[in-house]
Amino acid sequence: MRDKNTIIKNGLTHLFLIADSVVLVFPFIWMLSGGFKDSLEVVKMPPQLLPSHWNFDNFRQIEKFFPVYRFLLNSVGVAIVTTFLQLLICAMAAYVFAKISFKGRHAVFIVFLTTMMIPAQVTLVPLFILFSQTNLIDTYAGLILPGIFSAYGTFLLRQNIMTIPNELLEAAFMDGASYYRVFWKVILPLIKPTLAALIIFAFMSSWNSFLWPLIATNSKELMTLPLGLSKLQGKWSTEWNLLMAGNVISFVPIFVVYLFAQRYFIKGMTMTGIK
Amino acid sequence: MLKKSGVFLLIAIMVIISACGSNKGNNAESSAPASSASPSESASPSPSESASESPSDSPSPSKEPVTIKFLTYTANGQEETLKAMVEAFQAKNPDVTVDYEVVPYADYDTKLTTLLASGSEPDIYEVGYENFRKYAAKDLLLDLSPIIAADTTFNPGIYKKLAYDAFNYNGKQMGVTESFSDVVLYYNKDLFDAKGVKYPDASWTWKEELEAAKKLTDPKAGVWGTYAPIQFYEFYKTITQNGGGVFDANGKPTLNSKANVDALQWMIDKASKYKVSPALNDDTFNQPDADLNAFVAGKIAMVRFGIWNFGRFKDAPFKWDIALEPGNTQKAHHFFADGLVASKNTKQSEAVWRFLKFFTSDPDSVSKRIAAGWSVPAVADDAVLDAYYKQTPPESKKIVIEALDSLVLPPVGPKPEKWGELQSAVTEQLDKAKLGRVSVQKALDSAQKSVEDLLSK
Amino acid sequence: MAAFVFLLPALLGLIAFQLLPMVSSIFISFSDWDLLSKWTQIHFIGWDNYAEVFNNEKSYTSIKNVFIFLVGYMPIITMLGIFFAVVLNRNIRGIKFYRAAVFVPVITSWVAVSIVWRWLLNGQSGMINYLLSLVGIQGPIWLQDDHWAMVAIIAVTIWKDIGFVSIILLAGLQDISEDYYEAANLDGASAWNKLWRITIPLLSPTLFFIITISLINSFQVFDQVLIMTNGGPAGATSTIVEQVYRNAFQFNKMGFAAAQSWVLFVIIFSVTMVMQWLQRRWVVYER
Repeated sequence: MRDKNTIIKNGLTHLFLIADSVVLVFPFIWMLSGGFKDSLEVVKMPPQLLPSHWNFDNFRQIEKFFPVYRFLLNSVGVAIVTTFLQLLICAMAAYVFAKISFKGRHAVFIVFLTTMMIPAQVTLVPLFILFSQTNLIDTYAGLILPGIFSAYGTFLLRQNIMTIPNELLEAAFMDGASYYRVFWKVILPLIKPTLAALIIFAFMSSWNSFLWPLIATNSKELMTLPLGLSKLQGKWSTEWNLLMAGNVISFVPIFVVYLFAQRYFIKGMTMTGIK
Repeated sequence: MLKKSGVFLLIAIMVIISACGSNKGNNAESSAPASSASPSESASPSPSESASESPSDSPSPSKEPVTIKFLTYTANGQEETLKAMVEAFQAKNPDVTVDYEVVPYADYDTKLTTLLASGSEPDIYEVGYENFRKYAAKDLLLDLSPIIAADTTFNPGIYKKLAYDAFNYNGKQMGVTESFSDVVLYYNKDLFDAKGVKYPDASWTWKEELEAAKKLTDPKAGVWGTYAPIQFYEFYKTITQNGGGVFDANGKPTLNSKANVDALQWMIDKASKYKVSPALNDDTFNQPDADLNAFVAGKIAMVRFGIWNFGRFKDAPFKWDIALEPGNTQKAHHFFADGLVASKNTKQSEAVWRFLKFFTSDPDSVSKRIAAGWSVPAVADDAVLDAYYKQTPPESKKIVIEALDSLVLPPVGPKPEKWGELQSAVTEQLDKAKLGRVSVQKALDSAQKSVEDLLSK
Repeated sequence: MAAFVFLLPALLGLIAFQLLPMVSSIFISFSDWDLLSKWTQIHFIGWDNYAEVFNNEKSYTSIKNVFIFLVGYMPIITMLGIFFAVVLNRNIRGIKFYRAAVFVPVITSWVAVSIVWRWLLNGQSGMINYLLSLVGIQGPIWLQDDHWAMVAIIAVTIWKDIGFVSIILLAGLQDISEDYYEAANLDGASAWNKLWRITIPLLSPTLFFIITISLINSFQVFDQVLIMTNGGPAGATSTIVEQVYRNAFQFNKMGFAAAQSWVLFVIIFSVTMVMQWLQRRWVVYER
């Protein structure tokens, strides 16, 4: 009886997930095939699923607009450094906001949150002036620094650390562990799935970051992929096929990061879990 | 696992930090000009003024090596050409290094205004006509007139006069035209032949266009007689073709004049009354490049497109050509000019001027531009442009230049800094008229009111 | 002391790269800065920009549009997110593929996505209207129709964000011990009961995060609007950050843009504070 139920439920789940995957993935498939089409065929209506002839030249054509490998390399480097530092800094701060109380902690936390509430467009220019006064414009440090502090990441990890029972931490302190030890050995291992999620989002936000790299870099040696992709849209016309090809290139690394991080979401629950 | 990847990340960081360090070494070269330019920020404006006069004092300027910074957006996809042009300049001017940067067009204003706001703008930057008016009005640009007057080797006659004058602000030459674009009537010869309709020529007005379009429209085959989008740029040109305009000669807004109302009504009637254009609730052509695709597929007989689309129709499976746009009471054609300007804070006005001249009109640089199919240089010499005319299709390529005889500049108006807002205010009303939410008269009355409000502030 | 050491890096970054520019933007909001003159020559004009925000019809429209967006977006994304997370948490064959699929829209760029959605939403030849016509409904021209454009924007945003929300909730679900469910099963609890008695309360810290973040982000909805409709038609999808962007970098009214941003800030801050206050009633941290 129970098994029959399970089979039906599994079937329904599959059915739902397959239908849903089609809806979610279709535009991506279209983008992928668009990368191999001719310039007007990409925007033809109704869209063709496959190119009428496979145009591999698109990926070479992009080189006319920007040095793809250099920009890609910069993007990867910046994103890795940003992700790692952001995770560390956010986790440390989140630990404090969740478990180490001091006077005025909540107020400081609220101030952290407020930094998400002002559009980046108005803080951009002051930030640029700050960086140009300190000669950080057109350096890797200048490119990376603003991205490693994230109220968003701090908030996410704090919510997770809050759910760790205090008894667990107290037990560790009883055993003579220091704050640092508790942080590394107790807190971090317990929030792995959330850290994995934050890896994805930190990497993604660095990867897609556009406005800051736009104004913070001048030389091609430092520019990142989104700047290059934006060059494919011209004043008069846009080469949509090149844009699609470029977006395919941009998609791959972040998808790899996603697959890597996904492994930390433990295997999911057995069917007895939620019905 | 997490530990392992942590180690990996650490190594990655170290590699990158060392890369940062080595890059700083490389940067020494390129940052030197930046720091040599920065004193101009702190110094009073006077040095730049005297600098602008210095070339007249000394015809053979000291050949101390200088670097000039140059910001551009039209070079996207043509960086190789740009590089070749800059190298050609540097070969002739070994004392000058041009440090250029190509910025994506959509974000060019964001980047340039940020640089201006922080006082670190480049020596030379590219602007469209609309922004030129704005920047000139805000007194950001170097007045080239004294340099030009002193330069005996320079003759403004090498440029198309109208294009050159577009960068003259209140009698001061504050920029040099670099290239231009316009919009012409494209037509599908095969469709005309099939219906036995005469090809459009310079004598055509809206009336002839409509008659031909009625014959050419074939709903069963999905063929439209004529098409032009209903949006701001098309609007200001079409009202000019009817003798109207956004402003009168004194700079007073005249959006709801009779001529304008009739012209907008005509734009709408082509679709809703005569049915020679796609219906207004048909949004097929609002897809990106859908109109280009429709023309290639032989679904539009006549259409107004920019000259930058020539290359897209190279392989069209039918014969096509271009003609002047039909007007009503007069002819009018778009004119989009891009030019180069110099910052009034530049310390290198003499080198800057040499580069401006070379880049916009030297046969060496202009021919490279044409050969690469980058854009049409605004030079007057037909011999130079011959290479451009020879790139066919279309056969009637000279139309591109003939259209300039009836050019209409973007109606920037008496307050150039309000141009962006003006455009968005009028666009909103055009949308409403197009959606049929309000009558044409009412839409333009509201547009008139918002533009009046805008200018009164 | 430990608190200070752990907080220090984040605090320094916060002050230098976020608070400092924010405070500067307060000053800017009292100026008529056009971004064309150098910052050292900034000229202050008092409260004029703020007065203008409340007199400006476009500000009102854009704030109204943002609230329309919120009302459409928030409930659906929250409920759909929980649903997806629960389904994706099942241990069935191919779950990794499904989890990847759900995330694909999140990492596909708006520019690429917008092209295909503009086709799907096209009035004449779009897939959506074709499907509607099968059930006898004549669909509108969505993105070109001022009454329907915002609805379309909401739908596409939900489509793109659902992977983001469900992955975060999925990470939250990982922390819930199966013991709870087994105990509930012994008691014969229904699936519905388990959702409300176990899943939602134990997921509430993550849920609280998602709702707060989604609210803050929704108030600043911008990219998709700029790319899909450019704020049109007739201003129907114009949002407050879209206005801020235009005023700052296209209309050269940085002071006004800053004032608009700070009005927006007050709105977001108030809503967030209400959320913070309400969380005591439903968010469970102790287990």
